[in-house]
Amino acid sequence: MSIRIRKDSRGPQGLAHVPTFSALDAKEHRVVAGLLHERRYEQGEVIFDEGEEAQALYFVISGKVLICRQGETETRRMAEIGPGRAFGELAILGGDRRSAQARAAQACVLQTLSRRDFDGLFESHKAIALKMTLQIARQLARQLREQTGVIPELPL
Amino acid sequence: VSPGNGEAVPSDVGSAGPLTWLATFGLTTLLLVSLQKALWLVVPFLLAIVLYYILLPAVRSLSRAGMSHESAAAAVSGLFSVAAVLVLVPFSAWIVANSSSGEAAFWNYVENGKGLIGRLLSELEARFAFMAQWDLQSAFPRKASELGQRFVQEHVTDALIGAVAWVPSLLLAPFLAFFFLRDGRRFVNRLLRAVPNAFFERTLLLVDQVDTMARSYFQGLLYLTLIDTVCLGLGLAVLGIPNALGLALLAAVLAWIPIVGSIIGCIIVVLVTVADGAVGQGTVYAAIALFLLVRLLDDFVFVPLTIGRSLQMHPLVSVLLLFIGGAVAGVLGLIIVLPLAGVVMIIVDCVARILLDRRLMARHAFARRLRSMSANADLKA
Repeated sequence: MSIRIRKDSRGPQGLAHVPTFSALDAKEHRVVAGLLHERRYEQGEVIFDEGEEAQALYFVISGKVLICRQGETETRRMAEIGPGRAFGELAILGGDRRSAQARAAQACVLQTLSRRDFDGLFESHKAIALKMTLQIARQLARQLREQTGVIPELPL
Repeated sequence: VSPGNGEAVPSDVGSAGPLTWLATFGLTTLLLVSLQKALWLVVPFLLAIVLYYILLPAVRSLSRAGMSHESAAAAVSGLFSVAAVLVLVPFSAWIVANSSSGEAAFWNYVENGKGLIGRLLSELEARFAFMAQWDLQSAFPRKASELGQRFVQEHVTDALIGAVAWVPSLLLAPFLAFFFLRDGRRFVNRLLRAVPNAFFERTLLLVDQVDTMARSYFQGLLYLTLIDTVCLGLGLAVLGIPNALGLALLAAVLAWIPIVGSIIGCIIVVLVTVADGAVGQGTVYAAIALFLLVRLLDDFVFVPLTIGRSLQMHPLVSVLLLFIGGAVAGVLGLIIVLPLAGVVMIIVDCVARILLDRRLMARHAFARRLRSMSANADLKA
């Protein structure tokens, strides 16, 4: 699905490839773009630690992010997140602490959406919040199927 | 470069200790001292914050309806400015038209007030023999006149000149509020851009807490003013006191000044009531009782339900801060010390948590090393 993005020097770049925003129209896209913060990480830099209070969800624009158990980057790798994918959403949706550590596997550019702004969307722009939440839920379901390999056989 | 030993890292490191409290008190006092030097800016700034929180829901409603944030902020600010002009211009004309009789009315209220206190002292002296020995009834009018004249000479003239000097700066308030509404988020985003990655999420939490506290406080203050106006207005109307709603609103706004504001509001209402000869002395006492009742309701019911939730400050700390605020910056200090200390407390607590969190500091140092290595990668001999 292609998304029309207004050419705006203030708006974040690379969001067209993020599935979480794929259901938004151009106007809704501008609303979300105004809420995002760009962060740049060097390879090996910690993005968040396991057990931390979660304040933001992240979208990978370029580079790769490793999700692993705290400090066990080699032995207990859980996932590698590439461009277009979101991470850190579980703790935001569930209101829990981070369940794993996130580190930059490569130098990467991320866009972040704060928990406050995400919650605020449910008040100010319900349609946007619902579309994003649906996309996040689909992404989580896909991950669950990929990781367990059992779910596809169940009549869910 | 291993980041840890495999154990999850707790993000909460202790809570506000005595050093945090001392830093909060010290910084609040310093800010009050420095703000006192720029009162002409602090007052419109404070009013602009109040306006911001009043107008913000309207801006959000227009944004929800499909208007861009910038247009919504401009539309709401424009409408407010037009409404303010429509109200203030006739009001100013009325003030100018009645200014000649205003001074006479003021001295009339003072004389009536003196008469009321004189009658009260007379009754007390008749009832209690020990009070008759003090002969307060004859000493009071002379002392009251001396004090009144000295007060007018020392304070009223300065206050009037000060008020006139502040009028232009007060016009800044709607202007500032417009920019808060339009660019507030952009300003915060720029601020966040300067925060190192390791502290980013903590800073998001800090911004959230400061905004929540300020919004709760100022919106709570407005709700409290509304509740006080309704309670006092209804009570005064039942007592048959003229201009009940106007007096109630004036008293409710004066209550923004902790402790002394309510007393001044009560005195004004009593003086106006006494000056209006249509009501008896019993009504005056009933008006005082009404003020005491509303004050008690404020302290035990309304304030905890409105402002109380925002600051989450121990009553002893609040009283101490009020003393500091009053001593350092006078009436304005009394008004701003609690919300100011609330914001300072959140910032000090957050900064202390970051500085005491060895893990966050280590992550920051590690990130700096990585950036340095990345920048120097092609500079090896």
